[in-house]
Amino acid sequence: MISAYYFGAISLILIGLYAILTKRNLLKILVGLSIMETGVNLLLISVGYVSGRTAPILTEGATPQTAVDPIPQALVLTAIVIGVATTALALTVAINLYEKYKTLDIEKIRGLRG
Amino acid sequence: MNPQYASLLIALPLFSAFLVPLIKRAGKKVILPYLTLVTLIQTGIAAWAFKEVYTTGKPIIVLAGGFQPPVGINLYIGHFAALFVLIIAVVSFFMTVFSMKAIDVEPIDKYAMLFLLLMLGATGMIATGDIFNLFVFMEITAISAYALTGYNKTGEASEAAMKYIILGGIGSSFFLVGVALLYGSLGTLNLAQIAMLASKMNPTVAQAALALLVFGLAVEAELFPLNAWAPDAYQASPHPVTVMFSAFVVKAGLYAMVRIVYLFKDTPAFMGILNLILILGTLTVVIGELSALRQTNVKRMLAYSSIAQIGLIAVGFGVATPQAVDAAVFHMVNHAIVKALMFLAVGYVAITLGCPCIESFKGLGKKMPLTAFAITVGAISIVGIPLFNIFWSKFRLLLAALQVGKTGIVALILGASLVEAVYYFRLIHAMWFEESKDEKVEENLAFSIIMLLLVALIIVIGVYPEPVWNLVQKAATDLYNVANYIKNVPLLGVSP
Amino acid sequence: MVKRALAIIIILITGYWLANALAQVPFGADKMLVGKYYLENVKEQTGAVNAVTAVVVNYRGFDTLGEVTVLFIAATGVAALLWRKKRERTAKSEGSVVLQTGSRLLLPFIMLFGAYIFIHGHLTPGGGFPGGATIATAFLMLYLAFREYEIPHNVFEPLEGLAGMSYVIVGLIGLAIGGYFLFDWIWQTWQLGHANIGRLFSAGFIPIIYTLIGLKVGTELTGIVDNMVKEPKEGGQ
Repeated sequence: MISAYYFGAISLILIGLYAILTKRNLLKILVGLSIMETGVNLLLISVGYVSGRTAPILTEGATPQTAVDPIPQALVLTAIVIGVATTALALTVAINLYEKYKTLDIEKIRGLRG
Repeated sequence: MNPQYASLLIALPLFSAFLVPLIKRAGKKVILPYLTLVTLIQTGIAAWAFKEVYTTGKPIIVLAGGFQPPVGINLYIGHFAALFVLIIAVVSFFMTVFSMKAIDVEPIDKYAMLFLLLMLGATGMIATGDIFNLFVFMEITAISAYALTGYNKTGEASEAAMKYIILGGIGSSFFLVGVALLYGSLGTLNLAQIAMLASKMNPTVAQAALALLVFGLAVEAELFPLNAWAPDAYQASPHPVTVMFSAFVVKAGLYAMVRIVYLFKDTPAFMGILNLILILGTLTVVIGELSALRQTNVKRMLAYSSIAQIGLIAVGFGVATPQAVDAAVFHMVNHAIVKALMFLAVGYVAITLGCPCIESFKGLGKKMPLTAFAITVGAISIVGIPLFNIFWSKFRLLLAALQVGKTGIVALILGASLVEAVYYFRLIHAMWFEESKDEKVEENLAFSIIMLLLVALIIVIGVYPEPVWNLVQKAATDLYNVANYIKNVPLLGVSP
Repeated sequence: MVKRALAIIIILITGYWLANALAQVPFGADKMLVGKYYLENVKEQTGAVNAVTAVVVNYRGFDTLGEVTVLFIAATGVAALLWRKKRERTAKSEGSVVLQTGSRLLLPFIMLFGAYIFIHGHLTPGGGFPGGATIATAFLMLYLAFREYEIPHNVFEPLEGLAGMSYVIVGLIGLAIGGYFLFDWIWQTWQLGHANIGRLFSAGFIPIIYTLIGLKVGTELTGIVDNMVKEPKEGGQ
């Protein structure tokens, strides 16, 4: 049996993937992408968790023996920023696409084929 | 000189990109010459690093912040990285010259920044020695590539960029899950330490993690089925950017994939992953070549041809004997040269005659004889005619496949060459033997020089392959010899 | 329907496969290797009490430099793709009185709070990225409240570039003084603030870098907002 946190993270990843694979509206696909990224971040964080320990800020009371792993948290910080960057750029491209084709339905946007 | 100065390879393009908003105040005309200057300096640094690595025979290890790996991030500029960083810098330099003519869409200052950061990302991907840092550089490459793909702001460009973003997003999520699995079982992100501890990892987890990483990188490395973005992006992006995609961005992705997979050479998970790469590579070759056959847009045809060649390189890495890896790296170098030439020439035709469609190429031998000559040499080389550079790498690949008795791969290479012959000779026929009413065009001197340089390189390597072959063998050993890789990275004694 | 069924099958297989692999990575167990080293040495080597910050800025400085770059690329890319000859705000109406007065009143406080977050990055959760995002919200509010409002572009663009350049320069000074790119010269060579661990003036160059990142992130996100609220003017391409 896997832990609830892993289960939650995997579910989020799969929900995102489902949205990407089946939705026709571009914005919904991008939302799916964001959900997937959130799932990945949750997974990274839960990989670094150590039962019963606290945040790795070593002020009053917290010692190296009572802190969780700081690396995954640093990684997630980076991953979040990268996710934001991708989303911002994707939305921009969506704006451009809408301006050209007047629709966000991916079935109707097909200039390039073959 | 202090080898730590190799960190300038990362620092210089970054600094220069941040400087562009200030440069812009001096006028729009200054930006592209400034870009040329920066890439020239970058070429100088890369050449110095290359000389350093190949004369001492030892890799340059750059420690960020002075922390020893695995505590800090290190750059590992070994034989492979030194060679490819130099290729990246030189190709970028050529492309800045090309950009002066090829880029007429505003805003040029943003183009310059994105251009530099694309170069930076590919350099970092090849140089880094840390798996998460690899992810960061991959995203730098990918995100600047998204923006450059959509740069022309036409419907096609936006569509290609959107495809690229969606596939890239899925890829990077997969990659991160792979990193999470690796980190969760080994507690480290340093590539050398991962290789050291790889045999302690649970085989199921290792296999899953590697498969995820391979899928994540397959987007950048343009392997089937995650390469749906590539033909569109190649066709729709500005011509210099297409050259960069084909010459080094895809190579960086492929290198990263191979580096990571080879770290697990001595584990039970390795064989399964090799088979995965072989299958993906074979499918990429078959689908790439067959799609190239029915294109009427020459740029798109070259894009499919490029994808197919990448598939061949992946197959070489999938065979994974030392000979096959040598051949694959050789093919990588040759392909970078030839495709830089081809996309440059085709892009030049497209900006002079308006479109890269097959009609423009009819009678090109009369309209632009030098460009037509360059395209012809490139085409002959790709097909694998002796005395041209790609012949040697295809030949070595054949030999390597024969040695391990994989006749399927031999058939694949021969079949691919046959299909290539069909569509490339069609192009050559159109250029030299069909008539066109258009007048002769004055060819640009700078581009002619660049094209002739590349043509000369193709022929020189074709006639005297030995010097380059020796370089390439060293580079391939760097990839293949993981024990040496571990030994070269000064790991701090952090052990479980 | 076929597409949907296919998607569900793919997802179920992927999910099963992922769960299978993850079952071998025990949840909540102490798997630290490099992490332990960080926790044990962070105070003495970097002077930061927040280990995550030390990892982000000091130990894995290349990642953060790359991260800043990624955001920079996004801002640049958004500006490049939305570039038109003439663009203007197209909001139909002004914000309500409450919104307008509120945003004016709150602006300095939000900016102060953002600055607080990034200056105290080495002591408390937070740092340059959240701090910068907080500052950007202040400008977002101005955009929502006023129909005609635009940020002073000739200040923001150079500031963004300058902040990024200063980050690289801080790293290069490390290369010149300590021999390593992104070397923490303030803490390790000059040994400033060693008596102050846990107070504001400590942790070497972390507060400096986080201030630069905060400024950069703030200006970049504001720039993205600015680009996205404007639409091409009729007649201008």
